[in-house]
Amino acid sequence: MKIKKILIANRGEIAIRIMKTARLMKIRSVAIRTAVEPGAMYLSYADEIYDDSENVSEIPVFLNIEKLISITLEIKANAVHPGYGFLSENAYFAQKCLDNRIIFIGPSPDALYKMGNKTIARELALKNGIPMATGSQGNISNEEEAIATAEKIGYPVIIKAASGGGGRGMRIVRKSEEIERNFITASKEAEKAFNDPSVFIEKYIENPKHIEFQILGDTKGNIIHLGERECSIQRKHQKLLEEAPSCALDNSLRKKMGAIAVRIAKTVDYFSAGTVEFLLDSDRNFYFMEMNTRIQVEHPVTEVITGIDLIEQQIRIANGEELTIKQEDVKLKGWAIECRINAENVQAGFAPDPGKIENLSMPSGPEIRIDTGIQAGSSIVSAYDSMIAKIIVSGKDRKEAIKNCKLALDKVWIKGTKTTLPFFRMLVRNQKFHDGTFTTSFIEKDLEKFYYNSEYEEMLAAWLATKLFVEENLEENSIQIDFEDGKVMSPWLLNKRVNQF
Amino acid sequence: MNDKLRIKKLYALSSENRKFSFSLPLKNKIRIGKRDYVVQLRADEKFGAYILWKNRKYPIEIVRSRQNKYEILFNDISYTFTVETPFSLQRMKVLNSKRGKAEQEYIRAPMPGKIIDVLVREGSPVLKGEPVLILEAMKMQNEILSPANGIVKSVTARPNANVMKDDLLVEIKVE
Amino acid sequence: MKLGMNISGKSYKAFLERQEALKKQYSRKQAEKQHSKGKLTAIERISLLFDAGSFEEIDTFVTPANQPVEFGKVERTYGDGVVVGHGKINGRLVFAYAQDFTIMGGSLGFIHARKIAKIQEMALKMGSPVIGMMDSGGARIQEGVASLAGYASIFHNCISSSGIIPQIAVIMGPCAGGAVYSPALMDFTFMVNHTSYMFVTGPSVVKEVLNEDVSFDQLGGAEVHAQKSGVAQMIYDDEENTILALKKFLSYLPSNNVENPPVVADDGSTPDVNEKLRDIVPDDPNKPYDVKDVIHLVVDRNSFFETAELFAPSLVTGFARLKGKTIGIVANQPKVLAGVLDIDSSTKGARFIRFCDAFNIPILTFEDVPGFLPGVDQEHRGIIRHGAKLLFAYSEATVPRITVILRKAYGGAFIVMNSKSLGGDFSFAWPTAEIAVMGPDGAVAILYRKELAESKNPAEMKKELVKKYRDKIANPFIADELGYIDEVIDPAVTRKKILSAFAALSNKWVKVPARKHGNMPL
Repeated sequence: MKIKKILIANRGEIAIRIMKTARLMKIRSVAIRTAVEPGAMYLSYADEIYDDSENVSEIPVFLNIEKLISITLEIKANAVHPGYGFLSENAYFAQKCLDNRIIFIGPSPDALYKMGNKTIARELALKNGIPMATGSQGNISNEEEAIATAEKIGYPVIIKAASGGGGRGMRIVRKSEEIERNFITASKEAEKAFNDPSVFIEKYIENPKHIEFQILGDTKGNIIHLGERECSIQRKHQKLLEEAPSCALDNSLRKKMGAIAVRIAKTVDYFSAGTVEFLLDSDRNFYFMEMNTRIQVEHPVTEVITGIDLIEQQIRIANGEELTIKQEDVKLKGWAIECRINAENVQAGFAPDPGKIENLSMPSGPEIRIDTGIQAGSSIVSAYDSMIAKIIVSGKDRKEAIKNCKLALDKVWIKGTKTTLPFFRMLVRNQKFHDGTFTTSFIEKDLEKFYYNSEYEEMLAAWLATKLFVEENLEENSIQIDFEDGKVMSPWLLNKRVNQF
Repeated sequence: MNDKLRIKKLYALSSENRKFSFSLPLKNKIRIGKRDYVVQLRADEKFGAYILWKNRKYPIEIVRSRQNKYEILFNDISYTFTVETPFSLQRMKVLNSKRGKAEQEYIRAPMPGKIIDVLVREGSPVLKGEPVLILEAMKMQNEILSPANGIVKSVTARPNANVMKDDLLVEIKVE
Repeated sequence: MKLGMNISGKSYKAFLERQEALKKQYSRKQAEKQHSKGKLTAIERISLLFDAGSFEEIDTFVTPANQPVEFGKVERTYGDGVVVGHGKINGRLVFAYAQDFTIMGGSLGFIHARKIAKIQEMALKMGSPVIGMMDSGGARIQEGVASLAGYASIFHNCISSSGIIPQIAVIMGPCAGGAVYSPALMDFTFMVNHTSYMFVTGPSVVKEVLNEDVSFDQLGGAEVHAQKSGVAQMIYDDEENTILALKKFLSYLPSNNVENPPVVADDGSTPDVNEKLRDIVPDDPNKPYDVKDVIHLVVDRNSFFETAELFAPSLVTGFARLKGKTIGIVANQPKVLAGVLDIDSSTKGARFIRFCDAFNIPILTFEDVPGFLPGVDQEHRGIIRHGAKLLFAYSEATVPRITVILRKAYGGAFIVMNSKSLGGDFSFAWPTAEIAVMGPDGAVAILYRKELAESKNPAEMKKELVKKYRDKIANPFIADELGYIDEVIDPAVTRKKILSAFAALSNKWVKVPARKHGNMPL
């Protein structure tokens, strides 16, 4: 193994995830301690810790290319794993690693650049006969062009950031009166989030399902797919629950879409793990959206049903090894569901609720996998994301997976911040979710209530409020007041007080 | 002198105006259909306070309380109740029948964050659902919408200001 | 007491007849008049306030004074529209009067006023608190100047008792014109939302004279007085909760200015050491937090009773308990206007401190104040005078006074908020405290004005200088080393430190200068 020591350029649950596999592969891992969370859980999984807690700069170390390179060289690591987010899709960072003879555990700088720029990715797809939603040929430079392009494509359209995703710099526009305002807001948001105000416009496909395919490729040109993930349960383009496989695909559609996913990856000679995102409409037409050139948050569901350790594969591929898995070896067995538990207040429109997690208790069992970076005493910091844990539950089929998920969620207990637990408890009891007929508009359109409470819970809470009121106000000895105590005082004081007037 | 005003029944009124009645003295039992089920308030080292009901533990926390108003976190969901006596309930009816609908709407910050953009001015007409300002929190921009049709009476929010949850941002005179 | 029919004789007959007449006067139909408005009757309010069976009414059967001149009708009723007497509230003797709106609109006539004055005088003699429940249409016009004199005697008694026995007003209906001075002179005012109002001149006169259209609620409703004028300190949405809250409030107060406040059994559920206190003040000095989070962790569980919550919210005042003993709390609230002191908060704080001082209630101050609110409005309306009130009140107070500096303590505001040099007994500071003449930005701008102007990168330079200022000057350790604070403490042990400090101060006695009274800025 060429890779002897990996610098983990990330934190939280994904840092732990990478370090767990590294340990199994007998590779040393180094984590970075930051001032923002000096006692974080991920640090206890590292073989070595680089202490950066003196650094109070506004830019987190995980976004500081120069610093990361210098740390890697200093600790004599020969590989870097960027995780997801931060610099994981930054071509410049990948290139800098290569320039410094550091193995970047991810794809090539070229693939990162091409697929990272949505406009270039679209051009490549267009050239290679990949089905896509009609859109602008390049980036939109001003309001007039936005208006004209939108008119040409036909409303509804969606404005997207060229340099990033995750819902930022994204705006759906249905009426021509709104295109100008939304173009400006989307550009501003994109600039803030990705340092690049460029946006492009696409036809907006109503109520599609979001289906993505996991790709694995090696440096020898072999590319396979590991099946799909169903990610339609989203709120403002942030995924909340993911499943593998999807009940919308049968074997033939899976084969078709998988082949296209592989073809897209081939256009940039892709290697390492990656994900190709599609929109699937109600007529089983699918459209390429974008390719994510990193390991994704929801990778565990694919791991559970394929039995493949994606991080291990990433490390091996980065090590220069050839893929030992062939497409026909990939078998999807059973069903997996992942619930992203975040520190958000469901009743307040999923508003972030940062704070300290005082205590938490997670269920366990053969069908349960918990990926988390939070332990009792951890703080959810607004500088990073609000994720508490990913709860991945499996079953022999979808029905059993949902049943197991319901049981598991009822056993989760988190004290300290509001969480999205009540939302998932509602979701696993929702008919449309059970039917599998939900689309990406599910949360906005099909849900009346965002949280679950059984019919007695409100009544019990009401009983509690009443009990408190009775105890504080109506009970005869609600306050044991001793008036005599106030009349007794030392002679020193009493004498002075009485004689003062 | 007349006897103390004996209160025989109490009502817990939820923030959505659902009413739960309990007769006094308050028992540790709640009747569902024909059966009485025991409900107990307990505390445990690890869980903190919880309610024991039908053999299940529901973690609880009293978030806030003021006189007869309680905000309770029950099994991860928060509820706000005011506890009313039969007389105060009757009083509510009397006052509501005289008052009619709200004259003013107050827009408060739903979460702590930074005001990015204020989209209205004093005197601007607004429609229900129209965005009045952009609040940035956790790196996401959130549009704050007007809850009613009306005219903006005053704007307290300023661009680039940091606000805390419940801070008054805009006051609207309802039409 | 029912005397059987066996007893004959005129004297008992008359006695029983009168009882019957009284019962008829306070009939259910009479009560309906109040209930239909969502209000309780005077008798119902009294029985809710006092312990069962403990209330003894006085002057039940007095009748209205004879009119000097016949003008308008006066009903011949018993009591003259007010119920007065004494009883026990949670076992302690309290005197109270409750005006009866159903009898001649609760208007104040000569006898009505005399009843109230009688109660006030008795309370002063016994050294017991007075509660006044107002629900009155105002002076009885038919009785002319006699009813005005009646008010005057009530006011005079309020003043004679001020600072000797606690006096609390509960506005449960109209209280207008001259009548409003009674609650204004008392220590605290409770109001019931929507069904009570106070103003000197009513809407009809306002319309006549100024042609301004305003409703009763808009001019002088409970919310107006709680938020804008500061006349009412506690408001509740209904009468029952107002009275229940009043009972709770009373349990914090002593009966008179010689006694110590009552002590409540402490369940020991509040830990003396609590690490959560370390997490409350954010690292970023410009980020707000809620000082009530600090208060709740330091005082006995559930014991914080906030006063004037809606008025001048940048300063928090209220009563709380430490191991069952009452203390008064004054705290800057960083989440409102960054906790600055302004005219309203200075006045609010000063009045509260003087009450605590009059009634032997120790004061605990939590400080995080960047200064006084700047601006033409504040300066022209006299922030100088009003800020001085707070200074005067603190300095004058001889009760035990402890300060805990949580974060900012700059300049004049640092001195004003109970500094040791003003006679504060103990001053503690958290490690996050910044004690200095002024904040880092201002100081750096002044001291390094030249260097910053000449610098190539002023923003960077300023950032460095600010950091240096924070590290070297605006930290609590210097003040500690110079003796201007007593100790820099770990936030987690705040309660423990305060408890032992107050214990050491329990016998504190300071001789006040021999003078009629100081000349406090007003």
